[in-house]
Amino acid sequence: MRSLLAGLVIACALVAGPAARAETILVFAAASLREALDTTAKAYERTSGDKVTVSYAASNALARQIEAGAPAAIFISADTDWIDYVEKRGLTLAGSRRNLLGNDLVLVAPADSATALRIAPGFDLAAALRGRRLALADPQSVPAGRYAKAALVSLGGWSSVERRIAPAESVRAALAFVARGEAPLGIVYRTDALAEKAVRIVDTFPAGSHPPIVYPLVLLKGASPAARALATHLASPLARATWERFGFRMAP
Amino acid sequence: MMLSEEEFGVVALSLKVGLWAVAVSLPPAIAAAYVLARKRFAGKALLDAAIHLPLVLPPVVVGFLLLELFGRRGPIGALLEPLGIEFAFRWTGAALAAAIMGFPLMVRAIRLSIQAVDTRIELAARTLGASPLRVFLTVTLPLAWPGLVTGAILAFARALGEFGATITFVSNIPGETQTLPLAIYTFTQTPGYDAQVLRLSLLAVALSLVALALSEWLVRRTGATETAHA
Amino acid sequence: MLEVDVTLTQGGFRLDAVFAAQAPIVALFGRSGAGKSTLVNAIAGLVTPDRGRIAVEGRTLFDARSGIDLAPEDRRVGYVFQDALLFPHLTVRANLAYGERLTPPHERYVDRARVIELLDLQRLLDRRPSGLSGGERQRAAIGRALLASPRLLLMDEPLASLDAARKAEILAYVELLRDELRLPIVYVSHSLEEVTRLADHVVVIGEGRVLAEGALAAVMARPDMAMLAGRFEAGTVIEARVARVDEAHGLTTLAFDGGELVVPNLDALPGEPVRARVRARDVSIALTRPEGISIQNILEAKVTALASEYGAIVDVEMSVGGATLLARVTRKAVAELGLRPGLGVHALVKAVAIDRRSVGFA
Repeated sequence: MRSLLAGLVIACALVAGPAARAETILVFAAASLREALDTTAKAYERTSGDKVTVSYAASNALARQIEAGAPAAIFISADTDWIDYVEKRGLTLAGSRRNLLGNDLVLVAPADSATALRIAPGFDLAAALRGRRLALADPQSVPAGRYAKAALVSLGGWSSVERRIAPAESVRAALAFVARGEAPLGIVYRTDALAEKAVRIVDTFPAGSHPPIVYPLVLLKGASPAARALATHLASPLARATWERFGFRMAP
Repeated sequence: MMLSEEEFGVVALSLKVGLWAVAVSLPPAIAAAYVLARKRFAGKALLDAAIHLPLVLPPVVVGFLLLELFGRRGPIGALLEPLGIEFAFRWTGAALAAAIMGFPLMVRAIRLSIQAVDTRIELAARTLGASPLRVFLTVTLPLAWPGLVTGAILAFARALGEFGATITFVSNIPGETQTLPLAIYTFTQTPGYDAQVLRLSLLAVALSLVALALSEWLVRRTGATETAHA
Repeated sequence: MLEVDVTLTQGGFRLDAVFAAQAPIVALFGRSGAGKSTLVNAIAGLVTPDRGRIAVEGRTLFDARSGIDLAPEDRRVGYVFQDALLFPHLTVRANLAYGERLTPPHERYVDRARVIELLDLQRLLDRRPSGLSGGERQRAAIGRALLASPRLLLMDEPLASLDAARKAEILAYVELLRDELRLPIVYVSHSLEEVTRLADHVVVIGEGRVLAEGALAAVMARPDMAMLAGRFEAGTVIEARVARVDEAHGLTTLAFDGGELVVPNLDALPGEPVRARVRARDVSIALTRPEGISIQNILEAKVTALASEYGAIVDVEMSVGGATLLARVTRKAVAELGLRPGLGVHALVKAVAIDRRSVGFA
C-alpha cells in the first residue's frame, strides 16, 4: 500500500512538475514587430518551456489598454511617447526600460516599377510622383507617419508633397497601397518593405533626417521572473540573428 | 456650436459622399430587390448571400476586396480607368465604399416592401394594357415606396458612419476622402483635439437623427393614405 | 364570338374545356373549384394553357400549335375581379384613367362620361379605394375595365364578396351594361340566380370538363343539371313573355308555351321577353284542380319522369306545354298519388316563390 502511494506521488510530481514551472507570459507589442517577434517567441517557448502570448496593435491602443488594467507583463512600443505615457502613470517596473530595437525609414515602389531616386537634401519627390499620391502612415497619428514627415521636412521635400499624400491607417496599410500599385511611391519601415514581396526599396532615408526610430521595451508592474527572463532574452545576442534577419537593428 | 472651415469641409464631404452613394446604388438595389422578391431562378440563394456579404464581413476586409477589384490594377478598376472613372484616393472611392456597405440594408428594406405588394393588383394592371415594365413603375414601385424611403435613409445613415472600408480603400485624405468618421478617428489619435472630437461626434448624431426624422415624415406623408393590399 | 379549346393543368387539377359561344353574356357556371376562374385567367392571358386555342371575334389570343400567346396587355380583354383590385395608391378617377390612357385613341370606343353616369361614379371620383364600400369598389372596377375599351369583358364572380343588397345593386348595373354597351361579357358564377338573371348562353363546368352548354333554358332543363345546380337550387327555367300587368295587385302575368305564370312585383312592360326560374321545392302536384287555395299558379302538366331520388324525396319532372317543370315531393306522396310517367296532373307554383331575383330579362 505504501509503495503504491509513493508511486502515485512520484507520478503526480512528474506530471505536475514541468507544468508547475511553465508560465504564460503576455506581451503587448507594436504591430510592426509581428513576424520577427513571433519567430523569436516560438524559439523561446521551445527552450524555456514557458508559453508566450503576444498581442499586437497600435502602440497608443496598447498603452491605453495597459492603463485600463490589461494583465500584460512586457510592453514594446514603436516609439518613446507611449512608453513615457505608461511610465508617467506608474504602471512600469522602475529601471526595466531599455531601447530594444531600431529601424530604418525607406522609400518603396511597386516591385515592377523602374523608379530610381536618390534621397538627398532637396530631392524632387513631387516630380517622381507624376501627379499621383505618396502613401504613408497618417502623420497626424501614427509614429511611422510622423517619422516620414519629419524626414521629408528636414530634407526639404515636405511642402511640395504635403497635398499629395495618401494618409493610411497604419504603416502596413500604406505598404499595401504601394504593393497594389495604387500609389507609385510610399514611405515605410525597412522591416515592412522586406516583408512584402510586391514592393522594392528605392532608397533609405538617412538616419539623421528623422528622430531615431526606437522600440523601447519595458516591464510592467506585476511581471513575473519568467517575464523578466524573456525580456532579457529579447535583448540578448541569442535573439539578434532573428531581429536582423527581419531588418531590425539591435539598439546599442 | 460654430464649425471651423476644416470641420465644415468634413461635413460637406460626408454629405456629398453619402448622397452619391445612395443615388448610385438605388437603381441596382431596386432591381436586385425586385428579382429576389418576385423571381425564382437557379443561384438565387447565392445572389442573396453575395448581396449580404458586406453586412457580415469586417469592413476592413471589404476595403481590401474593393482594393483588389477596383484598384488601378484590379479587374474592374482597370476597365473603368480609360473611361475616366477612378476610385484610388478620391471621394468617388469613398462613395463606392459607402455604397457597398449600405447596399444590403437598402435591398432588404426594398425587397420586403415589394413582397408586400399584392401580385394580383399587378396582374389587374396587365389586363388594362400595361406592359410589365409599366406595371413595375406605375403600380409596384409607388406601392413599395415606404420601403424605398426606409432603405435609402438606412443606407445614407450607414454611409455617414462608414469607416473601415473607406480608410482601407482610399486612405484618409483631408478634403478628398476624410469623411466624418475618419476625421473623428484622426482627432482621437492626436492629443489635444478632444473638443473637435466632441463637436464632430455630436454633429454625426444630429445628422443621423435628421435623416431618421426625414424618413419618418416621407413615409407618413405618402404611405398613410394607401395600403399595399386592395 | 368566343372560341375556346384548351387543356389546363394546375397542381393536380386538369380541365379540358371546349366551347364556342356567341351571345351578349356567356355564363361560366359550376361549383367552386370547378376551374372556372382558371379558365377565365387563361382567356385573359394570366395563365398559359397546356394546349389549344382561344379566339375572340376571330382574333386569335392563344394558339399552342402556331406558338401564339398574346401577353395580357395585348389581348384587349377586360377583367373585373372578385375583389375589385383597384389601385390603392390612386383615386377612383386615376384608376378609371389607367387603362383608358393605355388605349390608343383610335381604339377607344367607350365614352368616359357615359360610363361614369352608367355606374354612378360621379361622387366617387376623388375618393381613394380604401374609403369605398364593397359595392362602390366593384362599380369602380367595372368602370376601370370598361374604360380600357376591351373587346371582351371577363367578370369573375364579381358579386361574391358583396352582401345581398349590394349584390342586387351591382347585378342591375351588369344588366345595364349588357343592354347598353353591346359588349360581349363572360360572366363566371356559381350562383344560379345570377346566371339566370344575366345569361343567354351558359357553359357548365364540372369534373374537369364542359358538362353542358347552350341556351340557358335548355341547359337548365336537363335532368342532370339538377344535380349540378345543387340540391337546394334544383329547378327549371321558363322562357316567357310579359302578357299583362295587374297594377292594382302589383302582379305581372307571364305567358309561355304551356300556360301563364303570375309573379309579384316585377317591373316590366307587356311584350318583354323574360326568363323565370322555378325551383323544384316551390312546386307541388295535385291530381285534381284544387279549389279555395291561395296558390295563384295552377298549370296543366304531364309527368314525364321520376328523376333523382334522395331518401325520402323525389324530383318529379313534368312537361307543361313545351316547357319543363320540376317538383320536389316525398316518395310517400308519389306512392299515394300513384305518380308515374304519362300521368296528367296539375302543377302548383306559389306566385311569391318566383320573386324578382328569379326573373331575368332576355
